[in-house]
Amino acid sequence: MSGRAENMIQLIDVSKEYKMADSCRVALQHINLTISEGEYIGILGLNQSGKSTLARLLNGLLKPTTGQVLINGMATDSPQEIRQIRQLLGMVFQNPDNQLICPVVEEEIAFGPENLGLPPEEVNKRVDWALELVGMQEMRYHAPHLLSGGQKQKVALASVLAMQPRYLVLDEPTSMLDPLSRREILEHLCRINQENHITIILISHHPEDLLDAKRLILLHEGSIYMQGTPKEVFKDMEKLKAIGLKRPGLYQLIQQVEEEGYRIDDNIKTIPQLVEMICRI
Amino acid sequence: MNDIKLGQYVHGYSLIHLLDPRTKIICCTFIVISILSNHNFWYLLAYLGLILAAIKYSGIPYKSIWRSMRGIRYLLLITFLFQAVLTPGEGLIQLGALSVTREGLSIGLINLLRLVILFLGSILLLMTTTPMKLSAGLEYLLLPLNKIKIPVQHFTTIISISFRFIPTLVEESIIIKDAQRSRGASFDSPKIFSNIKSYLAILIPLLASSMLRAEELAEAMDSRCYGGNPNQYRMQSLKYRRVDIYLIIFMTMVLFMGLFLG
Repeated sequence: MSGRAENMIQLIDVSKEYKMADSCRVALQHINLTISEGEYIGILGLNQSGKSTLARLLNGLLKPTTGQVLINGMATDSPQEIRQIRQLLGMVFQNPDNQLICPVVEEEIAFGPENLGLPPEEVNKRVDWALELVGMQEMRYHAPHLLSGGQKQKVALASVLAMQPRYLVLDEPTSMLDPLSRREILEHLCRINQENHITIILISHHPEDLLDAKRLILLHEGSIYMQGTPKEVFKDMEKLKAIGLKRPGLYQLIQQVEEEGYRIDDNIKTIPQLVEMICRI
Repeated sequence: MNDIKLGQYVHGYSLIHLLDPRTKIICCTFIVISILSNHNFWYLLAYLGLILAAIKYSGIPYKSIWRSMRGIRYLLLITFLFQAVLTPGEGLIQLGALSVTREGLSIGLINLLRLVILFLGSILLLMTTTPMKLSAGLEYLLLPLNKIKIPVQHFTTIISISFRFIPTLVEESIIIKDAQRSRGASFDSPKIFSNIKSYLAILIPLLASSMLRAEELAEAMDSRCYGGNPNQYRMQSLKYRRVDIYLIIFMTMVLFMGLFLG
């Protein structure tokens, strides 16, 4: 291993096994992965593909059975550095209800910064900032249980952002939301990535969620199955079919158009964009 | 689900809302002590007036207080009746073997007043203080217990989490109940035992899902660096103002009045 690598996440030959009563279930095997600061990574996988395990390995909720997970050079299995790792790498979970801890939105967002031991003025500043970032200022004094699912998830997002992480890991954050709030959360993630330069690692079993990703990692049965830009990954129909994944309609269209001999831009992310581009051709 | 429930915080900007939670907790403790150590009817009546004035001042509509009072009406009624009937003394009305006594009536009335005052006092505290402020105030006041190795912060975290999850659990129990009902379970059978059985069928899934919830919540807290250290931010937001001090002095006077008038 070369010395401390700042500004990146490194997974070095990481495996994770769960011990059962009389057997052993392998969740991840021999994962090697490097994620640099500022990237937008999508991790796609079906159930049991190990994607949630991967998320929990990243901020030290789980420790790897073998191998090493390094966040900015700090290993997740060292107890002294775990606090700093968790400050650097925030997590948003799937169920919006089970990750909100406090009875008032404002205090929910202050929870993380409070635990970091920041002075109250700074905490206040961060609460204001985070609420504004997700557009929830008017909900500041509301009780979380009175919010809609999408709003809850935005509060969860804000409360992680208030810790000012460099990396943000989201474990299926949209799977319990309606399409509208899903879109909204994804737009927020894009903005946070571009304007605040926070690395996004978005985990989903829903290919449509991951179209914004710059790099898509496809997990299957605990290993990296494919990797590349969404366009590259979704091009390989056969390989996707082999593990039972459908590709998003957008990429189906793109491929059909390209087979006709036209060249489609890599940064086309929605069907209206595609339509506009085709019209210009 | 969205209407005001018993003792749930109602947002506002009245003087009572802005009081320091510690002041409110101390005052409530004073109320308890003076109410329980004094049985002068007029003193209690004056106390009731004082609390009603405070409620008026807090801007909480009497209507919602009245509605929550209805929740304890049987408790009040039974307390009053038992006192009235079971206290020996000069009989007023004969009801078979029982007789309503003059002493019973007055003791019953006094105890009724005591209960109402206790109820109103605590409801005022709950409705004008956010749960977080309340737990911050409790944490501050109980902090000395840390010296004898009682983990006060954990207690207050538990309190605030339960405040957060009570409505969620209520919602969930309604969903489970509806799910059971849609499959033919009945919850208003005249037989008590089959009723208990069907409620058990709600309790068990509720318990199971709560365990899952607890696990996920612990993960979420862990990933946000929860360490169980004293909550400095929350407590530093507590600030005594001049009103708080005046109020505590006033309530101390009322307390001593109660102790000596007793």
